[in-house]
Amino acid sequence: MPATEHQPSFLGRISIRRNQVIAMDGNHEQELEDLELFQRHTGDRFADLLSPPDNQDSPLTGESFLSISWLRKLVDVLLCCEAEFKAVLIMGREPSQISKPPLDRLLSDFMERSVKVLDICNAVATGVDSIRQCQKLAEIVVSALEQKPIGDGQVKRARKALSALMSALTIDDKENNHSRYAERTWSFGRRGNNSGGNHKDRANHGSLRSSSMVVAKNWSAAKQIQAMCSNLAVPRGGESTGLAQPVYIMSNVMVFVMWALVAAIPCQERSGLPTHFQIPKQFGWAHSIIGMQEKIGEEWKKKEKKGSAGLLEEMQRMEKLGQSLIEFADGFQFPAEAEKLEEVAAQVAELAEICRRMEEGLMPLQQQIREVFHRIVRSRTEVLDSLDNGKVSQPIM
Amino acid sequence: MEPPENYSTDTSFAVPFEDAQKIILRWDSTASEEARERMIFDGDRQEVDLYLQAVDEIQKSMSSTSISSPSSDHRDQDNNDSNKVNSAIQIAMARLEDEFRNILINNTSPVEVDSLVVSDHASASASAASLSHNTSSLRSSDEFDREEVGGGGGSGDHGDALDPIHRADSSNSSASYRSTSSIREIDLIPQEAVADLQSIARRMISAGYLRECIQVYGSVRKSAVDASFRRLGIEKLSIGDIQRLEWEALETKIRRWIRAAKACVRILFASEKKLCEEIFYGIGTAIDDACFVETVKGPAIQLFNFAEAISISRRSPEKMFKILDLHDALMDLLPDIEVVFESKSADSIRVQAAEILSRLAEAARGILSEFESAVLREPSVVPVPGGTIHPLTRYVMNYICLISDYKQTLIDLIMSKPSTGSRYSGDPTTPDMEFAELEGKTPLALHLIWIIVILQFNLEGKSKHYKDASLAHLFMMNNVHYIVQKIKRSPELREMIGDDYLRKLTGKFRQAATSYQRATWVSVLYCLRDEGLHVSGSFSSGVSKSALRERFKTFNAMFEDVHRTQATWLIPDSQLREELRISISEKLIPAYRSFLGRFRIHIESGKHPENYIKYSVEDLESAVLDFFEGYPVSQHLRRRSQ
Repeated sequence: MPATEHQPSFLGRISIRRNQVIAMDGNHEQELEDLELFQRHTGDRFADLLSPPDNQDSPLTGESFLSISWLRKLVDVLLCCEAEFKAVLIMGREPSQISKPPLDRLLSDFMERSVKVLDICNAVATGVDSIRQCQKLAEIVVSALEQKPIGDGQVKRARKALSALMSALTIDDKENNHSRYAERTWSFGRRGNNSGGNHKDRANHGSLRSSSMVVAKNWSAAKQIQAMCSNLAVPRGGESTGLAQPVYIMSNVMVFVMWALVAAIPCQERSGLPTHFQIPKQFGWAHSIIGMQEKIGEEWKKKEKKGSAGLLEEMQRMEKLGQSLIEFADGFQFPAEAEKLEEVAAQVAELAEICRRMEEGLMPLQQQIREVFHRIVRSRTEVLDSLDNGKVSQPIM
Repeated sequence: MEPPENYSTDTSFAVPFEDAQKIILRWDSTASEEARERMIFDGDRQEVDLYLQAVDEIQKSMSSTSISSPSSDHRDQDNNDSNKVNSAIQIAMARLEDEFRNILINNTSPVEVDSLVVSDHASASASAASLSHNTSSLRSSDEFDREEVGGGGGSGDHGDALDPIHRADSSNSSASYRSTSSIREIDLIPQEAVADLQSIARRMISAGYLRECIQVYGSVRKSAVDASFRRLGIEKLSIGDIQRLEWEALETKIRRWIRAAKACVRILFASEKKLCEEIFYGIGTAIDDACFVETVKGPAIQLFNFAEAISISRRSPEKMFKILDLHDALMDLLPDIEVVFESKSADSIRVQAAEILSRLAEAARGILSEFESAVLREPSVVPVPGGTIHPLTRYVMNYICLISDYKQTLIDLIMSKPSTGSRYSGDPTTPDMEFAELEGKTPLALHLIWIIVILQFNLEGKSKHYKDASLAHLFMMNNVHYIVQKIKRSPELREMIGDDYLRKLTGKFRQAATSYQRATWVSVLYCLRDEGLHVSGSFSSGVSKSALRERFKTFNAMFEDVHRTQATWLIPDSQLREELRISISEKLIPAYRSFLGRFRIHIESGKHPENYIKYSVEDLESAVLDFFEGYPVSQHLRRRSQ
C-alpha cells in the first residue's frame, strides 16, 4: 500500500529528493534543510495566530483570540504541521533509519502521546456538541426577546431558557453529576422535590454533562494533558540535530493545541489542567506558542475561579450577555422603558450574532477536529509500520 | 403562526377566550399549589381535552391580535391585550412542556432486550405495555451475555417456527438475537402516550416553542438510551484504555460489542427513530429528524468509539481474525446504519461507521503484510530434533487455514498482489516468486502462495543449521509434506492455492526425499559394488578376500551408524514414513541380496564368517523398520536370528 497516494505533490517531491540525495552521497544536508524549514514554518504559523497579520483583533469580526474561527485556524495549523512533520520523518525514508535508538524510544513515546490526542479529539468534539446545546438555549432567548413588543410572556420564556443557559455555561466540570435527568428546568416543583422552591436554583443543566460522557467515567482531560507533557524532554547533544528535533517540535505543537482546545471547549474533567508547561525559550519556533500559552494560562486561572464552561470567546460573551439579560428579566415590568428596551435589543442582537457564528463555525470546527483524528491515526499507523519493519525480527509464535 | 385546526373531533367543544384564559391560569403552576402538584395528563381525559382547546383558543387570539394594526389611539390597549395573550401562551407552553416531559418520563423505561423476541409475536400495544411496566424480569447484562453465546450467528428468521418455543417457556430467550439480523422497530412508548405527546408537540411547535420541545424530548430520551446502553453492557472506554488492554480481554469485548451493536442499530436506534417520526409526524419535515439525531448522536458515537479504537490498535498477526469478525459485523450492519441514519444531520455517524469499516479493512491488510514479514524473518535457529515439523510451519499453516475460512471477506479486502518485487527486489535475503504462471489467481490466493514461498524460504535457512545434510533434506521433506497435507485437507485453501502449485509443492518434498536418499544411501550402497574386489592377473578365483572382508566390515559399520542415527529421526506422517522406508528397502535389499549371493561363498569358505556377514537380508529388512520413529533403538542391530 503506497503511502504517497494521498499526499500533496510537494511532499512527494521531498521524498524523491531525499532519496536521490541519500543515494548520491548519503550526507544529511538535505535533511538539515528540511528540518530547518519545518522549524521555520512551525514558528511562522503560530506567529500568525498570535497576532493576525491584518490585525483584526476585534470581537465584531469574530476573529479574536480563542473565538471559534481562531480555534479553527489553530486546528488548521496543527494539520499543516502534522503533514510537514510526516514528510520530514517518514516519507522516502528507510524504516531502519527511524527504528534505531534513541529515535525508536522517542517515537514510541510520541505514539503514546498521539493516542492521548485521539481521546482528547473525541472529548473536544463532544464538547462542541455541548456548546451547540448552549446555542440552542440562547436561540430560545433570542426568539423570545426578538418579539415586539416584549411582554411578560416573552420575558418569562426567555428567563427560563436563560437560567438553563447560565447553568450550562457556568458548570464546573469537577461536579460530575451523571444522573441528571433533564436539562431544561421544570417550571415548578414536582412530587415534593423542592416544591415551591425558586426554580432558578434548580435549573438543570445536563447538557454539558450527559453528552460529554462518551469516554470512560474516570477519564480526565487534565490528566491526559499532564501525561502528554510528562516525558517531553528537550533533545540534547547529537539528538538536537537529528530527527529527535522534529519529534520534539511536533509533540509540543500537539500538546499546545490540545491544551488550548481543552481550555476553550467544555471537556470532561479539567480540574488540575496545567496552566503552564515548559518549552525552552531558545527555540525560534516556540516563541509564539509561549506567548499564547501565557495568554491562555492567565485566562484559565481567571476561569477556574469563576467556574465557566470554557474559554471560548463566544461562550464567554454569551455568559456576560446572559447575566445581563437575566437582570433585565428579573426586574421586568410591563411595559418596559424605551431606553431599557433599546439596550436589550442591542444585547439580543449580539446574542443572535453569536448564535449565528456558532451555527456557522461549530460543525466545521468539529469536522476539523475529526480530521485531526484521522490524520493522527494515519500517521500513527505509518510510523508503527516503519518501526516494526525496521526492527530486528521477533518470534511470532 | 396558524393555530392548528383539527385537534378536536368535536368543534362544538370550543371555549371562548375568557374561559380559555381562566383554564390556562388555573393550571399556572407558579400560581397555585394544586396546579403545581397535579399533572393534567395524569388525570381526567376531559380535563385534558378542555385544556388543549383552551390552548388552541389562546393561540387563535394571539394570531388575531398580532394581525390587527394598532392605531395610535388604541396602541396601549392593544399592547396590553397582546401582553395578556402572550403571557397566557407562555404559561400554557410552560405547562405543556412540563406535561410533555412528564409523559415522556413516565413512559420511559430501558428497553428489555431480552423481551424483544416476545414482543415480536405479541401485538404492538401489548408489547409496549409490557415494556414500560414490567420491570421485574430485567436481566443483568451477565446473564444476557451468557445467553448470547449460543444464539449468535442465527439465521435471522424469527418467524413462526420459533413461536412454540417461546410460548412454552417465556423466560427462555436464547434466540433473542436472531431477531437482530434486520431492522426491527419496537414501541418504546405506548401508543396512547404517543398520541398525547403528539398533540402537545403540535401545539408547542405552532406556538413557536419548537426548540423547547426538542430540548425536553432529547434530554429524556437521551437518558433512556443511556440506560439501555448500560443494560446492553456497552462500556465507556477511552482509546487509551483499549490500547492498554490485553488482546484476549479485547476479544471477549469484541464479541460482546458485535451483539450489542446489532441490537443498538437495528432495535434501539431504529425504534428511537420511529418514535420521533410518530410524535412529530406531519408537523414539520426536519423536526423528527432533529429530535432523533439529538437523542442518539452521543450514544452512537460512544458505540462506534470502541470499534474505532480496535481499528487503530497495533497490528499483530493474532488480531487478524477478531478484526475480521468486527469488520464483517460492521459490514453487515452498514446498510442498516445507512437506513437508520439516512438524514443529512446524521451524516457524521454514517461517515464514521464507513471510516471505521475501511480502517478495519486496512488493519486486516496491514496485519497480513505484517504476518508475511514476520514469517520471512522468524529468527529461531535451533534445529528441531529429528528433522520433524517446525513449530513455525504448523503456526503458519494453521494461520492460513483460518485465513481461508475468512475467504469471502478477504477476497474483497486484499486487492493488491504481495509486495515481492518492489519491497524485496534484488535482495538475497528474500525469495523470488514467479507470478507469470499464476495468472488468473486472486490477490488473496497470491498472498497465500507467497506466504508458503517465504515459509519454505525461511525453513531452508533453518535447514542449513543441521550438521547432517541428510537430516536437512529430511526436515525439508517433512515440512513441505506437512504444508501439502494441510492444503489438501482444507477445500478452500486447496481451491485458492490451486493444483498447479500443489503439484509443485509435492514435487518439492519428493525431491527432498530423493536428496535425502542420495545423501545417506549412495555411500552405503557404494560398499556393495563389484569394482575393486576382483584381483587382476590372479587365477585362483578372481576375488580378493581381504578386500571383500574389508568391504563387508565397512558396510556393516556404515549401516549400523545410519540405523542408529536415523532411528531417532522422525517422520511424523506414517504414510510418508512408510513410503520412504519402502523406497530405502527397494534399493538396499536387492543390492545386498545380490552382493551376498555373489560373494557369500568367499566369506563362508574362510574363518569366522560371522564377523563379516553379520546381517541377513531379513535382518536388514526389519532394521529399516526402525527408521524415522523418533527414538533410539534399544539394542544394537539384531544379529541373524538363528
